[in-house]
Amino acid sequence: MKKVLLIGLVLALFAGLSLSQELPPGIPRNETLIAQWLTGRAANPGNFNIWATWVWNDRGIQNLLLEPLWCMEYAVGEVINALAAEPPMYSPDFTQLTIKLRKGVYWSDGVPFTADDLIYTIELSKKTSGFGYHTQMQQVKEMVKIDDYTVLIKLEKPNSRFHINFVDRWGAFRPLPKHIFEKVEDPLSFNFNPPVGTGPYVLHSYDPGGYWILWQRRDDWQRTPTGMLYGMPQPKYVLMVFYSAAEKRVLAMAQHNLDISDFSYEALQVVLRRVKTARAWRKDFPWTVNIDPCVTGLHLNNAIEPFNNPEVRWALTLAIDIVEYAANAFDGAVTLSPIHIPLVPAYYEWYYKRMEEWLMNFELDLGNGEKFKPYDPTAGLRLAEYAKKRGYPVPDDPEQIKKIFGPGWWKYAPDVAEKLLKKNGFYRDAQGKWRLPNGELWKITINTGNNPAGPAERNAFAAVQAWTKFGIDVVAQSLEIAQNAQGEFEVSTDWPAAEPWGGHPDLSRTLTPYYSAYVPALGEGAPWGNYARFTDPRMDKIIEELQVTDWNDTEKLIELGIEALKILVEKMPTIPTFNYPGVIAWDEYYWTNFPGAENMYAQPYPHWPNFKYMLPFLKPTGKK
Amino acid sequence: MSFVKRYLLPRLVTYVLVIWLGITMVFFIPRFLPTDPVQSFIDRLSSQGTYWDPAAVQETIRTLRQLYGLEGTLWEQYVGFWKRLFTGNFGPSYFQFPTPVIVLIKQSLPWTAGLLLVTTLISWIVGNILGGLAGYYSDRNWGKVLDGIAMVIRPMPYYILALALLILLAYVIPVFPIGGGFRIGTKFTFTLENVLILLKYAFLPALSLVLIGTFAWFQGMKLIVQGVRSEDYVKYAKMGGIEENRIVSKYVIRNAMLPQITGLALSLGQIFSGALITEIVFSYPGIGMLMYSAIFSGDYNLLLGASTLSILLVTTSILLIDLLYPLFDPRVRYR
Repeated sequence: MKKVLLIGLVLALFAGLSLSQELPPGIPRNETLIAQWLTGRAANPGNFNIWATWVWNDRGIQNLLLEPLWCMEYAVGEVINALAAEPPMYSPDFTQLTIKLRKGVYWSDGVPFTADDLIYTIELSKKTSGFGYHTQMQQVKEMVKIDDYTVLIKLEKPNSRFHINFVDRWGAFRPLPKHIFEKVEDPLSFNFNPPVGTGPYVLHSYDPGGYWILWQRRDDWQRTPTGMLYGMPQPKYVLMVFYSAAEKRVLAMAQHNLDISDFSYEALQVVLRRVKTARAWRKDFPWTVNIDPCVTGLHLNNAIEPFNNPEVRWALTLAIDIVEYAANAFDGAVTLSPIHIPLVPAYYEWYYKRMEEWLMNFELDLGNGEKFKPYDPTAGLRLAEYAKKRGYPVPDDPEQIKKIFGPGWWKYAPDVAEKLLKKNGFYRDAQGKWRLPNGELWKITINTGNNPAGPAERNAFAAVQAWTKFGIDVVAQSLEIAQNAQGEFEVSTDWPAAEPWGGHPDLSRTLTPYYSAYVPALGEGAPWGNYARFTDPRMDKIIEELQVTDWNDTEKLIELGIEALKILVEKMPTIPTFNYPGVIAWDEYYWTNFPGAENMYAQPYPHWPNFKYMLPFLKPTGKK
Repeated sequence: MSFVKRYLLPRLVTYVLVIWLGITMVFFIPRFLPTDPVQSFIDRLSSQGTYWDPAAVQETIRTLRQLYGLEGTLWEQYVGFWKRLFTGNFGPSYFQFPTPVIVLIKQSLPWTAGLLLVTTLISWIVGNILGGLAGYYSDRNWGKVLDGIAMVIRPMPYYILALALLILLAYVIPVFPIGGGFRIGTKFTFTLENVLILLKYAFLPALSLVLIGTFAWFQGMKLIVQGVRSEDYVKYAKMGGIEENRIVSKYVIRNAMLPQITGLALSLGQIFSGALITEIVFSYPGIGMLMYSAIFSGDYNLLLGASTLSILLVTTSILLIDLLYPLFDPRVRYR
């Protein structure tokens, strides 16, 4: 009898616990925002030293705890002065950089943030091998503290872009607290726990298993850049969690235990159907985030035959029916990108609109005096038509359609592709299959990743279908480990160009990897964004000119950017297809006013450093 | 003396050789993979948006190589590795440099060891008892029912079973949490409530492993017992009028257990490999995810650390089983 009672007691306790909420007592759900972080379970959850190593920075360290000097905001096209009070100021010869700091900012332990912190951060990195930005900080010759809030940095040689090391675009050299690190013997092995930051949240607790971390709003949030710029972050607590299986995210959101999460496109459909309070970035089709500062597509290895021939690359481009391609890849829920930068709102104004006329008039030489204008300004409209046929609501306004589905793309012209190939010695055999000039069957292998729901993989599968239809023998291979950087590929689904800033007209981030001095021989690692190993003397000149153009000279930057983009179109080293379609859902059960397509006040992802700037705009629903 | 010379010493030599060979293979094989830990680190950060000035990348690569100890020939690295190993040091993790590998393993291993040790033992005991009885009394109805359940659960892909349990018991009937190792926002201290919370979070992952494991042992044991049951010595025992319970426990199950004991030793050794899918489905902490990411980030030291411990445990378990075998099987004698 006693045993039965004991078992009953344990079961009752167990059941009682089972009914308790996910959150502990004292952490009200309606004052807590729960968001999924992106990069996986933290293997060393007690380490917060973001300057020394990778510590799963997006679990709240970069997005809630720390502030950068500047932060890139691609949704509205601006650079936020966070710990910096103003944009960077260079001397005319770019050997000196003056940084003015925001006054009145305090570290979360009550110590004021001053010029001493910035100077110490740079000095520590410069002298500590293995510390973050150690190599980049070697450019610093000397630093002068003009006053508590002004630092003059003298550089070893002219560099008009030295400050970009401090611009946060999912990564930056963020100032660290001098008063903590100066007492540390080994800054590399220091765990920085408990962490101290200038951002609006401090650590509450974390899972020693590495799956969750709870942050609490600072009582003195007014003394942080976030508070000064945007006001009080609304959630008192932010819980960052990592649900490893996608299905669990759906379940968690259905239980209102997850407010923000990324999903696969298919999982998003389930969430929108099953969770009445859930919404995507766009309320209607195509739902996906189309302002992500990243363009997807196909990377062609320009260092090997036959992809070293621009006419072959153009033939492959014209062999793609982009509407069918987008339909196969994402059921048409994408924004087409004919050029090598994404269609974020600012780039639409700075680049897309200004290049439209040139694109319309751009011609390919087919030989024998025959020319062909490949640009199709109706591609976006055709994609919208496809969506309509599928029964999705599509706006009638052509300008809206351009922004949702893209302004245009390249014509589907298999006949022209055929001419270009034949001009270069390719021919079709009796079965209609393409043969290389040496008579071998043309086989293409596309290297891609292992997540069938990812945009890279979907590009690969769509390309296989498009080029197979054209008569090429194509296969996609899904690799966990690839050596694309070393040039061991024919075609890959690495992004067709390095991601640009998205919120600033300077394209040096995208273009510098094309600088011929940085492009190594096959077998060595090429710069990210140019595994294709594309070079062009004209591009070198533009990059050199960019290097001596001031970051604040918007018109000149756009002019140079357009010239570079024209070269990329002309040579088509890689094929941009569509913007990275970010798939995100918000549950508006506890919180509303998320930055959706109709209310684009900030970028939408919780893992970006800008997440903290979104939080003051959220509104509680009042639900308990 | 004859036992030491003729069996123990050669067995110990084999033991040491197997360990050396296993560790050597684990040292070299990842180095032949097309992964470069430094490039992998840089690629990962780049793909997530971190800007690396191309001019600085090469210099950064050189610095990191030097710090990671990846400079020098393979042979020099191999010798350096053994020197470190003898002092119990697996070196730093490359992906989380300079965190020592042993620190990372220590953080993840207790979760895996706790979960897998308990579930492996429960599955083994329950599976073998049920399998033994069902094999001997195969004509009984309850045996047939158990067999039917095993036929359904055993071939089920583990991922599907785990997900079905999760949906049923964490969503449809939300009795258990949908993930994690411990309650959010709570620091673990030894109280009855916390232990129950810990058990509650471990329950679904454990149940999924026990279900699959139990029925695997069940089926194996049942087949062995059915074979043993028809052996002559069992028939003679019956004819000799020996009590049936004694025949089942001493004659049948005891003999049928021998291969299962070896199987248990191997299963315990596998604990170091973790339970990757369990960790993914239930967001349960453990060493599986740690090793998975170590493989794809080229974190040789971390891989080597976890694998070395696994090799040591598997080989030692087998050695112990070999030495203890006479206790289970009186026919075996090391003379």
